[in-house]
Amino acid sequence: MLAVDLTGDAVKAKNGSMVAYDGQMTFKKMTGGGEGLRGAVTRRLTGEQMAVMEVRGQGVCYFADRASDINLVRLHGDKLHVEASNLLCTDAALRTGTTFTGLRGASQGNGLFTTVVEGTGQAALMSEGPAVVLRVAPQFPLIVDPGAYIAHQGQLNQSFQSGVNFRTFIGEGSGEAFQIRFEGDGLVYVQPSERNTIGGNL
Amino acid sequence: MTHGPVIYDPTTLPVDDNVNAYTFCVDLDGSQWFLQKGKMIAFYGAIEFNGIGHGPLDNLVRSSFHSPLHASDWVVAQGKGKMLLADRAFDVNSFDLDEGNLTIRSGNLLAFQPSLRLKQSIVPGFVTLIGTGKFVAASNGEVVFMEPPIRVDPQALVGWADCPSPCHHYDHGYLRGFLGGVRGLTGLGGTSGEEHQFEFVGAGTVLLQSSEALLDERATGAVPRQDGVPGQAR
Repeated sequence: MLAVDLTGDAVKAKNGSMVAYDGQMTFKKMTGGGEGLRGAVTRRLTGEQMAVMEVRGQGVCYFADRASDINLVRLHGDKLHVEASNLLCTDAALRTGTTFTGLRGASQGNGLFTTVVEGTGQAALMSEGPAVVLRVAPQFPLIVDPGAYIAHQGQLNQSFQSGVNFRTFIGEGSGEAFQIRFEGDGLVYVQPSERNTIGGNL
Repeated sequence: MTHGPVIYDPTTLPVDDNVNAYTFCVDLDGSQWFLQKGKMIAFYGAIEFNGIGHGPLDNLVRSSFHSPLHASDWVVAQGKGKMLLADRAFDVNSFDLDEGNLTIRSGNLLAFQPSLRLKQSIVPGFVTLIGTGKFVAASNGEVVFMEPPIRVDPQALVGWADCPSPCHHYDHGYLRGFLGGVRGLTGLGGTSGEEHQFEFVGAGTVLLQSSEALLDERATGAVPRQDGVPGQAR
């Protein structure tokens, strides 16, 4: 559960994720992720839909969703890439948008696009089990299972690698046929659980 | 929140130990580990995953994998690097066996060192590890260790070590007359849900999970049809 202290300011949160509040709050549905008309159209077109509400007021507001674990990420002008389904709450000052992810998204079954959060402030990510934060540096590339990936931040290049070979088709697959490789400098958040992915059992 | 989350890199990740209650880090240094398919969530370094049928692994499989029915669920990781394992956000724990044996529900076992030998238990749905080495198991909630004699709920049983004798136990009500039988079979007239237990006697340790939610059974297939072999499909 996430507790947010509000003193007249606002946060953007996943629609319907408020479980309790103390004080005066107003909740306003924001169409298309609160990104304006262009954002709304982009989200509609890309399928990376995000139902968001703006919460403004005085007091403490509590957010939770399906007993997921919550991880706070502080951004200092950098970019956080996260799946819309894993994003619970952001400071109103953070900008959100949509970007193309390529094959990684396809392998997760989450579509080809992902959400970008940028600016300065905090964002709350949801994960099944507490996320493990892994640093990627030029000397340490990281390979992640698409089903366990939640988010990444920093200057990272991702590439998709596939280990599908003839063995996969005779029932001798490695179970790790699809992987995302991160290179560069930044942080990757993984959850101790795997979503069901298209390639998950290959 | 003033302090951020712990950030790990290959130098700070633990060696063959838990990162948190739900994630386990294996340090591979040219060595090999068996792991259940799809339980790797991330890794640093160069690690290769190969199915049990991969040719070059023949020798390894010959010496430490004796469960053809589970072969399609297991892979061998080899290479150099650090690998994180997790399973549906269940608790994971590693255990050391020293010239010992341990029988565990097949779905709960995540990974083991090839210095252990994996065999199918006579008890259907369970596998036995024999030898010396480390293995990683998942459980729904923390694992509790108990000494026999003990009766345990079938859903809470994770496994047992050093061979106590497992048997079924039915409460007396099941045996008492026709109505007792009907009640036991149909639940008519009310049952406590605890009429049937597993009973362990003898020396050893029994491992329980602190929940009655079962992990998915891995498909175990059927044991060879042969007289005297328990657990075959009839």
